[in-house]
Amino acid sequence: MKQFLKNITLRSLPLFIMACLLEVLLRSIPNDYGFKKTYLDENSNEIETLILGNSHTYYGLNPAFFTTKTFNASHISQSLDYDFEIIKKYQNELNRLKTIVLPISYFSLFEKLEESEESWRVKNYNIYYDIKTSNVLRFRLEILSNTLATNLKRLYSYYIAGNSERTCSGLGWGTNFSSENALDLSASGKSAALRHTIKKYQPILKEQILVLNNLVEWCADREVKLILFTPPAHLTYRQNLDAKQLNTLERKIEKIVLKNSHCHYTNLLSDENFFSKDFYDADHLSEIGAEKLSNIANRLINSLK
Amino acid sequence: MLFNSIDFAIFLPVVFVLYWFFAQKNLTLQNALIVASSYFFYGWWDCRFLLLILFSTLVDYAVGIGLKKEQNERKRSLLLWTSIVVNLGFLGIFKYYDFFVDNFVVAFSMFGTEINPSTLNIVLPVGISFYTFQTLSYTIDVYKRKLPPTTNLIAFGAFVSFFPQLVAGPIERASNLLPQFTKKRRFNYGHAVDGLRQILWGLFKKIVIADNCATYANLIFNNSDEYAGSTLVLGALFFSFQIYGDFSGYSDIAIGTSRLFGFDLKQNFAFPYFSRDVAEFWRRWHISLSTWFRDYLYIPLGGSRGNKWQKIRNTLIVFCVSGFWHGANWTFVIWGLINALFFLPLLLKNKNRIHLDTVAKGTYFPTTKEFFSMAFTFGITVFAWIFFRAENLDHALRYLSEIGTSSLFEIPRFEGAKKALNTLLLTLIFTLIEWFGREDKYAIERLLTEWKKPLRNVFYYTLILVILIFGGKEQPFVYFQF
Repeated sequence: MKQFLKNITLRSLPLFIMACLLEVLLRSIPNDYGFKKTYLDENSNEIETLILGNSHTYYGLNPAFFTTKTFNASHISQSLDYDFEIIKKYQNELNRLKTIVLPISYFSLFEKLEESEESWRVKNYNIYYDIKTSNVLRFRLEILSNTLATNLKRLYSYYIAGNSERTCSGLGWGTNFSSENALDLSASGKSAALRHTIKKYQPILKEQILVLNNLVEWCADREVKLILFTPPAHLTYRQNLDAKQLNTLERKIEKIVLKNSHCHYTNLLSDENFFSKDFYDADHLSEIGAEKLSNIANRLINSLK
Repeated sequence: MLFNSIDFAIFLPVVFVLYWFFAQKNLTLQNALIVASSYFFYGWWDCRFLLLILFSTLVDYAVGIGLKKEQNERKRSLLLWTSIVVNLGFLGIFKYYDFFVDNFVVAFSMFGTEINPSTLNIVLPVGISFYTFQTLSYTIDVYKRKLPPTTNLIAFGAFVSFFPQLVAGPIERASNLLPQFTKKRRFNYGHAVDGLRQILWGLFKKIVIADNCATYANLIFNNSDEYAGSTLVLGALFFSFQIYGDFSGYSDIAIGTSRLFGFDLKQNFAFPYFSRDVAEFWRRWHISLSTWFRDYLYIPLGGSRGNKWQKIRNTLIVFCVSGFWHGANWTFVIWGLINALFFLPLLLKNKNRIHLDTVAKGTYFPTTKEFFSMAFTFGITVFAWIFFRAENLDHALRYLSEIGTSSLFEIPRFEGAKKALNTLLLTLIFTLIEWFGREDKYAIERLLTEWKKPLRNVFYYTLILVILIFGGKEQPFVYFQF
């Protein structure tokens, strides 16, 4: 029995040491999450406008075009519950906050990061943001969040090829969806719409509405304006959306806005100011579209003052 | 708790050390530890359903004791029916209630009557079909006086809830497993190493073969209307290897884990894709369920005795019930029927037991006849799996009708097709290893023991690295839904 345990331990030891080494090396790679946390730790008491949300705001709203002191704290696939977690984490420091800009994308009320295809990103909040949302070990370790092949590629990319994993600007805007490398809009539209259409959304819908109501209440208590908007998308995306899901989304948001005067909602999904050249893919803006959307948001913020 | 999760990787060594170091001298303590850890293991999913297991355990334990004391056959029969009604009642409510309600609604609407009953939308308790059948085997065997009832509640509780096979089998017979809980267990180094080896092989099957195949099977089945017939055939092949890797992988991990604790479970898969006819396939696929249905349904119905029509009736009933056991969907029933239709000719011609031995035993290669027999049987199996995997009958028929078009001869095209070549290559290597190990209980059982130690170690580390590097996206075990 003891011999068995001894043999197992000895044979597992090299694997365990390699795993620890890998975890340390992966955590040492600078990324958006670590960068934004550091920025918020140091500057949150100066921020007047805070942008939250998913990739639609990460790539779509550039704080450089805002006239107030603005920071983009959105991340790819960041669901509403994580938006609120960030707010809660910095609520005592956000003393000058006047406006929160939050995207209500087609899927926002129906998806939760933990239960989505992108659940591997949960570890980023636990490790780099110090937002402890999950006790599941997989969500707390780099090595367990991705396959070994992916992690080895990341090590190679950073330590050998010298590529950075930080893809946001100094103010948190995602810079790597350039119009020069734009994707085929017709192909990306259909696949994205299908990906974002949720078959069974009732349980998550209830949870996310609750989160949104909590955020609305938080904003009301602190006299912060909450600007909600559905981001623009290309026709190839829009025409593949599920009408029922979209309708549910719009009804729920309008209901919230009607009851709360500090909330404002704008639906830009089919906004005619956005053309094909503004998109990187069917549901994400390029830097050209981002400038346009940022100017619209900025004008709206100023008009609501 | 999933076998392929980090939670289980922590849970297993902790229970193992407690079991052999702190509870070794006391059999009751060991059994109590198994019960506690099994309930913890199950409760990790949803602790509400622990009450169901507890209730089933208490009812069947009490029925067993009652059957021992009672000599009156009518009262004994009543006791047995109590156990059957309670166990199948739970199964019926949790698994089939909504299905029957929905079908009644459809049936009534066909006659112009619109009814609007409420469905329960109950969450299916994981493993209910497995532990229900396991406890039923106990009460039926005790009723038939094939097995003495146990008076040891803890041992019985451990038998019902034994965590390695609680949620997806193998469905153990009380006559095989229960006595093992009442005998002193000694740690056996060889058995433990063999158990670990089988766990490793099971993990490879699940994480590398099943999970990778699942990615493409899901993609193709979920968007089947968009693909050519050739791609759909490939999708069905991916699903065939997914379900085999998934379920036989789970069984390997369950059997290996049991060996670590000094238990021997029955073999559940015996290389079914190397079968030469459907009858052989069903002797090699999910053996614990097939033999359960044989002993507790087919034989009581009359089995292969009686006239031709009785044989046909019994076979159809068993295959349909077996299909229905898998899930409350007509697709499973049709899947069972298809298998029955291919099985019946063999039965009626008395050719259902001509392939009892392993194919090409003692040789490296099969004969041409054996090769084509295997290919034909595999083709039938893949065809039937389409119904098993489809969302509903309409989906299955659309899937098959597209395969029947000229698009069958196009080059398969789907997202990530180039990456899928890696999965096909891994599956091919896996099939070769399985072929060379087909005479054993699992493919690498003897393959490795005949090798020298350093070479064996290289193989183990390589297999671990392959699992870590080529492991697919984590997927739940397919059979958990049953």
